[in-house]
Amino acid sequence: MRNIFLIAKREYLERIRTKSFIIMTVLIPVLMGAATIGPTFLMMSMMKATSKHYVVVASDQDVGEAIKAQLSEAQKRENKQAAEAKQKGMKRSEETPTASVIADVDTNTSSEERARLTEKVRKKEIDGVIWATDDALASRKLTLITLDVSSFIQNTVLQESVGEALHRESLKRKGLSAAEIDDLFKHVELVAENAKPGEAGAADPQMTFIVSFVMVMILYMSTLLYGINVMRAVLEEKTSRIMEVMLSIARPKEMMAGKILGVGSVGLTQFAIWAITAMVLSSSSLFAAHEQLKDVISGKVLAAFPVFFLLGYALYSTLYAAVGAMVNSEQEAQQTQFIVIMPLIVSIMMAFPVMQNPGTPLAFWASMIPFCTPILMFIRIAVQTPPLWQILLAVAVNLLTLYGLVLLCARIYRVGILMYGKKPTLPEIIKWLKYA
Amino acid sequence: MNTIELREVRKSYDRFLAVDDLSFSIEEGAVFGLLGPNGAGKTSSIRMMIGITVPDAGSINVFGQPFDRKCLQKIGYLPEERGLYKKMKVLDQLIFLGELHGLSAAAARQKAVSWCERLEISDWLQKKVEELSKGMQQKIQFAATLLHDPAFIIMDEPFGGLDPVNATLLKDVLLELKKQGKTILFSSHRMDQVEKLCDSICLIDHGKSVLQGQLKGIKAQFGKNNVQIEYEGDASFLRQNALIKSYNDYGNYVEARLAPGADPQQLLRAVVEHARVSRFELMEPSLEEIFTEVVGKSDA
Repeated sequence: MRNIFLIAKREYLERIRTKSFIIMTVLIPVLMGAATIGPTFLMMSMMKATSKHYVVVASDQDVGEAIKAQLSEAQKRENKQAAEAKQKGMKRSEETPTASVIADVDTNTSSEERARLTEKVRKKEIDGVIWATDDALASRKLTLITLDVSSFIQNTVLQESVGEALHRESLKRKGLSAAEIDDLFKHVELVAENAKPGEAGAADPQMTFIVSFVMVMILYMSTLLYGINVMRAVLEEKTSRIMEVMLSIARPKEMMAGKILGVGSVGLTQFAIWAITAMVLSSSSLFAAHEQLKDVISGKVLAAFPVFFLLGYALYSTLYAAVGAMVNSEQEAQQTQFIVIMPLIVSIMMAFPVMQNPGTPLAFWASMIPFCTPILMFIRIAVQTPPLWQILLAVAVNLLTLYGLVLLCARIYRVGILMYGKKPTLPEIIKWLKYA
Repeated sequence: MNTIELREVRKSYDRFLAVDDLSFSIEEGAVFGLLGPNGAGKTSSIRMMIGITVPDAGSINVFGQPFDRKCLQKIGYLPEERGLYKKMKVLDQLIFLGELHGLSAAAARQKAVSWCERLEISDWLQKKVEELSKGMQQKIQFAATLLHDPAFIIMDEPFGGLDPVNATLLKDVLLELKKQGKTILFSSHRMDQVEKLCDSICLIDHGKSVLQGQLKGIKAQFGKNNVQIEYEGDASFLRQNALIKSYNDYGNYVEARLAPGADPQQLLRAVVEHARVSRFELMEPSLEEIFTEVVGKSDA
C-alpha cells in the first residue's frame, strides 16, 4: 500500500508541476466556451449586420404585396425573438439592432426582366428575386434567384413567409376578414411539463440539451485524455528503462495502481479547479445566465459527474495501462489504442439517440453496457433521471467489469513491461495471461 | 551464512531455456562475480533473485530464508539498462527511490545528499536528469542503488560506459562497502574489469554454470602457463612452435599460452634467438582465457 501511495504521489506531483497542466487547465474551458458560445455569437452578429433587399416578381400586384408584407412581418418576429433571447442571456440590454427587409414588387414577368434582375443579383445590387408569377403559383413551385443558394436558414424563412402570404391571400379572396385570418395564423406553443412531481419542469429543454452535451463532451474528452496520459506514463517508464529499477522494489500491480491513481487525481484536481472557478464567476453578477444554468445543472448532475468520470477513467485507464505495457513506442501505441477508443466512440454515437429518448429500452440497455455506462448513464441522469436501481445496477455492472479487467490487465502489464522489441501478437498476449 | 543461495534454478521463456539448473551461493561479505558472455543468462538469474520473475523450478534463498519481498528493502539493484525519470530533478528522484526502499522522506533526503557528495555530483541535485550527461546519470543510478544502505548489492555491468576516473571512484566506493561487510554481486561480460575485485566467481554459458569457486583456487588450478613477451623484431616463428598452444598478438606484445608440459625456459631461449626481448613474464591466465578454454572444452 505504501508503494502505491508513493508511486501515485510522485505521478501526481510531477504532473501538477508541469506547465502543460496549467495550460490545459486554462485552455480547455476557454476552448469549450469558444466552441459552444462562439458559433452563437457569430450567428447573432451576422444577423445583426444583414439588411436584405428582395424583389418579388408577381403577375398580380396583390400577391406581390402580400408576400412583401409577410416578409417584413417575419423579420419583425425574428427581431423580437432575438431581443428576448438577448435579455434572457445577458443583462446588458444594449439596443437590439433590427435587421430589415426591403422588398419591391415587380409585375413585369417577361423573361427579359428575369434576365435583368438575375444580373442585378449577380452584381449584388439586390439579395434575391422571388419569382411568383401565376404559372409558378399554379404549379406551387416558386423560384428564388439568389447567390447564397445554400443559406438554409434564409431559404426556410423565405419559404415559410411566402407560403403564409399565399395562404393569407387565398383566404382573403375567399372572403375572410383580416382579423379572422390573423386569428387562423396565430402561433401555437407547446410547453413540455415534467410528469414527475417535485422536479423542475420549467428547465428550458434546449438549455438542458446544450449543457448535458457540453458536460458529456468534457466527460468524454477527459476520460480519453487521462487514459492516454496513463498509457504515455507506462510507455515512458518502459522506454526509459526505469521499469527495471522500479520492479526491483515494487510489484507490477502496485506500479499500475499507483499510476492510475496518480493520474486520476490530477484529473479530479483539474475538475475541482474548474468547478470552483465556475462557482466564483457565476456568483458574481458577471454571468446572469447562471440563474438559468442552476435549473439545468442540478446537484444530482454535479454529483454524478465525478462518479462517472472516475468509473469511466478507471475502466479506460486500466486498458490504456495494458496497451502502454504491450507496445514499445508512441507509433505502436497509436496503432493499438483504437481497441480502447472503440467503445468510447460507440458511446458518443449513442449519446444523441439516448439524449433524445432517454426513457426507451434502447437507452436503458445501452447505459447498462460496461464501458458505455459512464457516458450514457450520465446523459440519462442529466436529461431525465432514471430510477435509482438502474443507476446502481449500471455502476455495479461496471465495477464488476473493472475488477475482472484489473486482474487481466495486471497480467498483461506484468509481462509486457519487460518485453522489448517487437509488438506482441494477440496469441502472444493470450499466452501472457496464462503465465504464473 | 549465505547471503544468497540458488539451487537448481531453471527458467525458460517460451521454448528458450535461459537458465538451466543453475546453483551457486554467495557468502556474506563476499564479492562475487557472475560472469559470462552476452545472453548467457546473467540478467535472467538476477531477475529471479529479486523477484521480478519467478523460477520455473529450483529454489532461491535470500539472507538464509526462502525469497520474500520484504528482503528487497535490504537489496540494492543496479540494472544493466539504467533508467531514471528524465523530467524529474535528481534530488526528488533519489528521495522517491529511497522512500520506496523503506526510508522516511527526511532520511532519504539526508542519504541522497551525502551520497551525492561522496560521488561528486552535489552540484547537480536540483537539475533535471535529462540535463545530465550519461556518466553523470550513471553515478546517480549508483547512488540510488546504495541509498538505503543495502546489505546485498547487485550490480549488472556497473562499469559499462564510465570513464577511467569515474570507474575508479566507483570501484573505491565498492571496496569501502566490502570492508563494511556488504555482500556484492557483479554481473558482467567484461571479465577483466571484474576479476580484480572478486573473491569468487561463477562462469556461466547458455544458462549453465561452467566453472565456479574461489578465484584464487581457479587460477591456481589453471597454473602459470601464460607468457607475455615484449620484443623487437619478427615474432612469426611463434606460429609454428611446439611449445606454444595458442597465442594472441597485440601488436606491442604477444600473449602466449604454453603447451601442456612445455618449459618456459626453452621458449625464452627460442625467442631470444629470433628477436630482442625487452620483457618476458610468466603469468596467471586471465579469466577470459580460462573461460574460453572451459567453454571450448565443453563445446568440443
